[in-house]
Amino acid sequence: MSRLPSRRRLLAIAAAAVVASLLPLVVKAPAAQNTAILMLMTAQLGVAWNLLGGYAGQVSLGHAAFFGCGAYVSTFLLLRLGLSPWLGMAAGAVAAAALSMVIGWPCFRLRGHYFAMATIAVGEIVQAVVANWDALGGAVGLYLPVAEAGWRGLVWNTTKLPYYYVALGLLVLTLLVSAAVVRSHVGYYLRAIKDEPDAARSLGVSLTRYKLVAIALSSALTAAGGTLYAQKELYIDPGSVLPTALSIKVALVAILGGVSTLSGPIVGAVVLTAIEEGSRRAFGGTGRGTDLVIYGLLIIAVAVFRPAGILGILERRRHLAARGEEPRPAPAAGGQGT
Amino acid sequence: MEQALSVEILVQTLLSGVLIGLVYALVAVGLTLIFGVMDIVNFAHGEFLMLGMYASFWGWALFRLDPVVTLPLTAVLLFAFGAAVYRLVIRRIIAAPMLSQIFTTFGLMILLRGAAQYLWKPDFRSVESTIVSGRVTLLGLPFGLPQVVAAAGAVLTTAGVWWFMRSTRTGAALEATAADKEAAALMGIDAQRMFAIAWGIGAACAGVAGALLATYFPVFPEVGANFILIAFVLVALGGFGSVIGALWAGILVGVVEVLGGFLVGPAYKLVLVLALYLVVVWLRPHGLMGRA
Amino acid sequence: MNRALVSLLALSLSLGSSTPAAAQEEIRIGVLYPLTGAAASTGLELKNAAELAAEIVNADMKDLPLPLAPGVGLPNLKNAKVKLVFADHQGNPQVGASEAERLITQEKVVAILGCYFSAVTATASQVAERQGVPFLNADSTSSTLTQRGFKWFFRTTPHDELFVHNFFAFLKDVAAKKKIQVKTLAVLNENTLWGVETAKLEEKLAGEQGYKLTEKILYPAKSTQLTSEVQRIKGASADVVMQSSYLGDAILAMKTYKDLGYTPAAILANDAGFNDSEFLKTLGKDGEYILSREVWALDLAAQKPLIKRVNDMLQERYKVNFNGNSARAFTGILTLADAINRAGSTKPEAIQKALRETNIPGDKLIMPWDGIQFDETGQNKLGAGIIVQVQQGKYVTVWPFKLASKDIVWPMPPWSKR
Repeated sequence: MSRLPSRRRLLAIAAAAVVASLLPLVVKAPAAQNTAILMLMTAQLGVAWNLLGGYAGQVSLGHAAFFGCGAYVSTFLLLRLGLSPWLGMAAGAVAAAALSMVIGWPCFRLRGHYFAMATIAVGEIVQAVVANWDALGGAVGLYLPVAEAGWRGLVWNTTKLPYYYVALGLLVLTLLVSAAVVRSHVGYYLRAIKDEPDAARSLGVSLTRYKLVAIALSSALTAAGGTLYAQKELYIDPGSVLPTALSIKVALVAILGGVSTLSGPIVGAVVLTAIEEGSRRAFGGTGRGTDLVIYGLLIIAVAVFRPAGILGILERRRHLAARGEEPRPAPAAGGQGT
Repeated sequence: MEQALSVEILVQTLLSGVLIGLVYALVAVGLTLIFGVMDIVNFAHGEFLMLGMYASFWGWALFRLDPVVTLPLTAVLLFAFGAAVYRLVIRRIIAAPMLSQIFTTFGLMILLRGAAQYLWKPDFRSVESTIVSGRVTLLGLPFGLPQVVAAAGAVLTTAGVWWFMRSTRTGAALEATAADKEAAALMGIDAQRMFAIAWGIGAACAGVAGALLATYFPVFPEVGANFILIAFVLVALGGFGSVIGALWAGILVGVVEVLGGFLVGPAYKLVLVLALYLVVVWLRPHGLMGRA
Repeated sequence: MNRALVSLLALSLSLGSSTPAAAQEEIRIGVLYPLTGAAASTGLELKNAAELAAEIVNADMKDLPLPLAPGVGLPNLKNAKVKLVFADHQGNPQVGASEAERLITQEKVVAILGCYFSAVTATASQVAERQGVPFLNADSTSSTLTQRGFKWFFRTTPHDELFVHNFFAFLKDVAAKKKIQVKTLAVLNENTLWGVETAKLEEKLAGEQGYKLTEKILYPAKSTQLTSEVQRIKGASADVVMQSSYLGDAILAMKTYKDLGYTPAAILANDAGFNDSEFLKTLGKDGEYILSREVWALDLAAQKPLIKRVNDMLQERYKVNFNGNSARAFTGILTLADAINRAGSTKPEAIQKALRETNIPGDKLIMPWDGIQFDETGQNKLGAGIIVQVQQGKYVTVWPFKLASKDIVWPMPPWSKR
């Protein structure tokens, strides 16, 4: 994306914004709108993950802990104090950022695979602790009241439209934060940390400090997505908002689309959600795991043949077409661990 | 707890932990070997275990062959499967970024689970009778024979792998490749062949563990998930690439899980293991016996 | 890039919007079960049973004493036929909610039956509540589901609280009629929603009814060993162990009991893993004497010949017997069809009202219940559980005594004397 001339780029962004905001006015079927909302929510999580996993190259496989933190904090405050979910969303984000400091400070000592596995362990511990925590409903989970519909309560009953715009708004916010970080000196240092950690350290860059900035923002935005999930589904339990499978899916979205790009996770989310929904509709009734086989094959195919993700393929095509060359294997991109 | 803790119960619990820990270790040995030789974490390792269990199950279900009898065959089958996975898939991502590597093996995990569900249905199945059923008495305490045999088999296999790595030409070549690929290539070692062998042995270890487990643990497409998290902990705890490290870590984790579950509370037994892991890697970022 | 992306987006959205036009003479009922994923085989059983129920409603079966069996379709709706629209939730609460939404808004179903897993029923029924469409649950037993004050949620199956009450009624009954005194209990449950909720109720009722609870253990269902748990249970030396386990852990627990030479007077199991067909296949004679809570058993046919007739029909079509799950799904469809027929309309409010007024007598059910009548929370007031025991490799009904086909064996003989 960054190689596009700025006017064309602005035009592309404007076109995407117009299409995204008008889409639900054209696509009126609630189930299709619901699919679109799932895409936006998944994309938002992928973009948030990308801040830490893509730009800073710290592959987290424990982001469900932050997602669950957002869902649980806002729901708990709503049920106990009657706090507005909007304030709950902010509180959840702050709590997740605080949690990320506690997790990040020790884990950032670890590199590469060790870091990835430590985050899986942290995610599993958080899930087990919440499942045994009575005040949070334990394994039973928490029910949110089917409240009066409206923007104040962040609940709608018979229409999906407002959820679409909330999800879209959250995605835009996450993109803006990411863009701001990437353009700032923080983004510059994050790239340095990822590509040349030793050089960055020798230049006096405080690796841990910038990694902590990245994880705090990433986790806070992920938590906001968790609150939206709780408000949409009105029931949360450890199995639905804290599983490691969710952490992996979030990372997968970014990788599928292309890490370290703003729009990569969006592409990844659209493709992944389409495949999930499509294969369920097509093969779901057979009870034979066909959808899993397709899903697995696709992940392998992308990871093996196009490590730069789908966006990498598309970008390359266009560049080569412009220059009239044959496509060659895309250069490897992404988090180079140690 | 009503009764006073007797020494007997403590010893029995401790030994049970060691027994299961040794099986964990065998699962982890395959994983650590693959990592040590080529720096790739195999997320599909639990599925290799699952395939080993299914191979044993079908040997029993179709031909009434005991899992212990078919164990060598299971090992050979899984060796071939592991090497084939390397040739077909992993070979292409050796130089890829870590993210691609993680997600290739992760995709493989989903694919194998889906394929198992497709081919053999999601049902639980069990080997209903085996020559190792029954009980034995160790130190005057009763233990399940399948668990004891599984632990003994795990120790023998682990020792075999260790011996192979230390005392054979191929083992030495594997070690050399692990230490320095370029230098090994200059010495005329075919790295591709070494990698394929590492995947073969790694998968075979998981397969043997699967065959041993099949004597007392039910088989289903997601069974690998029960073991893989613990195997990851062992590999990281023992140090990526260290066979002996994985063995010690296995015993440690088995004891912490069983004894911790007994003394602290079963709901937290996995939390205890994961917490132990975090503390150890925090103090020693490369595990108990890992190469820095 | 944009063109490819847009066409992909359009494709995936269009997947959701291909609405088949609802035929006039069809009454569409949504059926939401786990048709893929770990519980797919159970989902398939439920699907088959629901299809058989719809077939019985639609065909003219004059001499079958089930609701709506005689006569074609729904008589009050000009003999309209029932059409089941199946959807798959994969055991995932979010997917359950999406699919419920699709069934209601796109497939235009007049009511939904589902979802087996309590966590999925929680989200899917909440979509129905928001949309104002009746939701009938036939097989999720979490007590909390009917404590939400929902107006569109109805449940035919007894829930966990009732099952736990059954356990204690059973203990009282064996004390009164068989002179078996139980003083101490231990609880060994898996630690998801079901096991945790059940353990809480067991603890509460044990206290209220004067039993001593010597140990309460909640263990992770995905355990690779249960030695520590069984050691603690053994140390607690209770008369009766109350256990809630899924299949893998139930088998593992039984093997560990045997290895450690532990036998209480009775193991009072809570259905699930202990009643799975694989349980006895794996354990063989080591599974003997287990007492387990059930909602249904084939030997009830001795008391109710209707059960055998309906079971034969299922055998003929799908080569399987009914079990507790499929019998409940079957009953769920009949209950819905009965209400829609009495409503004489497909308007949600009319069906909701008819469901509230449901009154199906016990002799028109294949369940061992006194009938179906919903209370103000939407819970069936007349449901009840039974207790079966494994005797000579079969599950036989041993309680309530009036339905029993065999006498109870108590205490279980120790492992050394089998």
